[in-house]
Amino acid sequence: MAVDIDFPSLPKQRVPRFVLSPRRILADVLSKGWVESLIPFVALLCVVAGVLATTNGYFEGSNLRNLAQYAADGGLVVLALLVVVAVGGIDLSVGSNFAMSAFVALFCFHILQLPVPAVLLASLLAGATIGAVNGFIAGLLGCGALLTTLGTMITTRGLYTLASQAQLVEISSSARIDDLWDWIGFEKVLTLPVGFWALAVVAVLVLIMFRQTRIGWHILAVGGNRKAARHGGIRVKSTIFFAYVLAGVIVGLSGFLFAARQNSVGSDTGIGMEFFVLTALVVGLGGFVPGRGAVVSVLIGFATIYILNNAMINAGFRGDFVQLSMGAIIVVILAIDVKFRKNRHRLLASTYLDPVSFDAGTVEGMRGLMPDETAPKLKDARILASGRVDGPEDVLLDAAGNLYCGTRDGYLYRLNAPDHAEAEVLAKIGGRPLGLALDREGRIVACVAGMGLVRVTMDGQVELLTDQTERSLLSVQDDTTIRMADDLDIGPDGTIYFTDATKRYDIENWGLDLLEGRPNGRLLSYDPATRRTRTVCDNLVFPNGVCLAHDGKHLLVASTWDCSILIFDLARLSDGPRVLLSGLPGYPDNINRASDGGYWVALAGMRNPVFDEAMRHPGVRRRMTRHVPPTNWLFGNLNIGGVLKVDGAGKVVDAFWDAPDGPLYMITSMREHEGELYLGGVTNDKIGCLKLDKADPTWRGPESYWGGRS
Amino acid sequence: MMSIFRSRRQEPPAMTLEGMLGPNGRLDDAAGMCVDAPDALCVNADGRLLVSSGTRVMALGAWGEEPLVWASFDAPVTALCHGGGLVAVGLAGGSLAVLDATGRPHDGWSLPAGSVASVVDCAFRSQDEILLVDCGYGADANVLSQAAWDEEPRGQLIALRRSGQPSVVAAGLHCPMGVALDAKGSALVSLLERARIVDPSGRSLQSGYPGYLGRLRRTGNGYVLACLSRRNPLIEFLKTERAFVAEMKAKIAPRHWIAPRASPEFSHDFPIELGATRLFGEIKPWAPSFSYGLLIEMDESLMPVGSAQSRANGRRHAICDATVWNGALIAVSRASGEILKVGEAA
Repeated sequence: MAVDIDFPSLPKQRVPRFVLSPRRILADVLSKGWVESLIPFVALLCVVAGVLATTNGYFEGSNLRNLAQYAADGGLVVLALLVVVAVGGIDLSVGSNFAMSAFVALFCFHILQLPVPAVLLASLLAGATIGAVNGFIAGLLGCGALLTTLGTMITTRGLYTLASQAQLVEISSSARIDDLWDWIGFEKVLTLPVGFWALAVVAVLVLIMFRQTRIGWHILAVGGNRKAARHGGIRVKSTIFFAYVLAGVIVGLSGFLFAARQNSVGSDTGIGMEFFVLTALVVGLGGFVPGRGAVVSVLIGFATIYILNNAMINAGFRGDFVQLSMGAIIVVILAIDVKFRKNRHRLLASTYLDPVSFDAGTVEGMRGLMPDETAPKLKDARILASGRVDGPEDVLLDAAGNLYCGTRDGYLYRLNAPDHAEAEVLAKIGGRPLGLALDREGRIVACVAGMGLVRVTMDGQVELLTDQTERSLLSVQDDTTIRMADDLDIGPDGTIYFTDATKRYDIENWGLDLLEGRPNGRLLSYDPATRRTRTVCDNLVFPNGVCLAHDGKHLLVASTWDCSILIFDLARLSDGPRVLLSGLPGYPDNINRASDGGYWVALAGMRNPVFDEAMRHPGVRRRMTRHVPPTNWLFGNLNIGGVLKVDGAGKVVDAFWDAPDGPLYMITSMREHEGELYLGGVTNDKIGCLKLDKADPTWRGPESYWGGRS
Repeated sequence: MMSIFRSRRQEPPAMTLEGMLGPNGRLDDAAGMCVDAPDALCVNADGRLLVSSGTRVMALGAWGEEPLVWASFDAPVTALCHGGGLVAVGLAGGSLAVLDATGRPHDGWSLPAGSVASVVDCAFRSQDEILLVDCGYGADANVLSQAAWDEEPRGQLIALRRSGQPSVVAAGLHCPMGVALDAKGSALVSLLERARIVDPSGRSLQSGYPGYLGRLRRTGNGYVLACLSRRNPLIEFLKTERAFVAEMKAKIAPRHWIAPRASPEFSHDFPIELGATRLFGEIKPWAPSFSYGLLIEMDESLMPVGSAQSRANGRRHAICDATVWNGALIAVSRASGEILKVGEAA
């Protein structure tokens, strides 16, 4: 019955290894998270370049070591402030806290003569205490962070002044010498000062906290949206309290390092520090942005301010002039950054669509079969479940004749045999269920756009099989997520072959993929035994319907915009596809087996001369998407479609159309069952059923795959 | 040098179908009478409504009555007007017949063959003089498809005196489609594609109409403007894409061009716009469409004061003529092949 497919004699389909396009690379880079810190980074580069141009030997090893030595305490305080800002607060008391912690360290070391680890502990405790006071008032009591920390700033400064005046003489006259104390203050490890390593370790820990730990995520969630965080079950008040305490501890560490290095404090210690670190933070974050734990960004901002300040003072400018220029430069950096952030999404939106010239070839093999050349055969179809199913992209029949279809609202419906009149919910999946198939055990495997591959048992249990595949090597964008699983079929060994129609657009925007005309899709496989997902063939042009050939050895894949049907040899998948059929008159969607050894091909829409011409003009399409409202974009005609009957060798032998204003105006799927053809359409709300003249009245789809009669 | 100092006068923005022109279903709700291939309308001296129907002119005594054949010609009727007891009939191929109120030919009017490409509208200035609108395209040309992509102003306004030769009143008009006389008797010409109404000197009197203009008719206290379709942002955009349009014109039959259309029919080989995709088989009324039914009512200053519409899901598109008859506003829909009683005239 089935015709042997002469695979080697079919023409090869060229599949690009990768898609290289400057516009795409720009768009992909713009959509990366790290682009947020682009402007601070560029600012840092500019500052470094400026310093290089105006000084000699600034970036020599000795000076860099020197810079690193003094950077530690400021850098740590910036990180402390980041933690507080991330939770949605602010801490003005960091400068006073810093001075107080340094004093506590000196007091414990010189007066109390405690061992150095105990001194460290005391400093951290001092910092934590002030943080806890802030956290208690601002977090637990809910007073304003600004007022609270202003209060603690003044109070702590007062305490510090009293304490330091009382003890300063004794501290400075102390003769205690300790190796560990001096090692922390002056020694270098791997050529860099100990303090700098402390900064690096704390930075990594804070980074890990924000990225990987529960409390870090809670801090970001509370900062991002306090109300939502509370609704999400996060203990908001204690999270804020914790953030202040943590910030206090980091400031305490900073004060300890300062004390070990300087061995003294002065009345001006830590004065103005809060404004210095606030500036660094604002430059790094591009403003006061709660809910963002961008450690690298704020360190870049800190480095910018620190080097700028240091270089200007080194150059011998007057202090007030340095302040004036710093202010002006920071305002410029911030202005550019704010503009960039504001327009980044606009820039991304205008570069994301990247059309290319595309030619689907002329229509072939349709003589006498076009809609205006034949009688509309679908006019005779019965209409089932009219108005009860919203967008049945695929229809599926089990051996008993029950019909299944997915709908736009994420349900899988069952229409019971024999009359298929009522639609009942089999399962709620979510996403947008598209292609369906029955596996050997009689379970439904569904491609769900926005979710991936899902398996549904006949009692409605839903299991996600896969939603990710391997990342392709040469792409800036992370393409591991399966964005638009479209259709599938199951091989004799149980391997599920399915298509991810486009890696670049979601189900709401799949039309843009047509306007782009690039090979954005891929054929994937999922092995239920190993639970492994593989990319069988990347860079296909909107691969859509998948059908295992009657011989069980080949796989048919519809390439929708290419208006062609590709064929893979399952034994040699790596050889790539060949073209079984090209020059279709419309956009092929699902493919399914016919009882006579041929195949049914659904056409979701029809080509027309003007649109084919527009596909050869990428610039027109790109400008159109910029200047014309989306509703007015020129598009493929998805208002008319039909079904083609293809024989086993890949020749179109018949075509089924409805009248142009008929109920089955576009078809995305069809299944033959006991001499009848069931038809579904992704924009329709009904299912058609057409009695076939020359079909085997006993043929059923599942038995053609898995054999036997149930 | 002077161009630097010349102020760049910006065109006023085109009107949208909002406000006074907000969407409505008046054309779809109107009573309709089927007529085979209707195009032009006028009211005869005896009070009957004359409607062109292919090569014939039908007369209607009262709304709902069976129309009777009033006159027959060899070529399709392309224009009708009445004045001073006479009826002028424009015929495809650029010829003219003038009849008296009973339908008998009236002597002395001759339009030399070949002097105009078409007569798409006419108006009597007096019993002895008639104004003819020549859109510049022959009867077999699909004017709607072509006008958007043709920059050449080949239309003209012709004056023809009884027992005299035609004289050109205005030349170099871009696709004029209708003529009406204002209260002072001077001519107003509607331009299809430029969407404006001009006087014979070419001066724009009002511009930016949201449609492709058909015939302009005077009512008791203003005008009505029949629109063959509505403006489309895609077509406006493609006017800037010269290379693409040149290839479209060179390779593709005009039937398939992106252009305003006279009929809302579905066909597998027509382009559509993204928003026009059907859902559950239905066209959304707000969907973009290349055909549309739009009749604009205007005051004396040619500002719109109201409209009657048939939206994307309607079928009474391509309104090509309108007139006031027995106090009612009558319009012709070319797409549905009907004359429509839109309502009481303002």
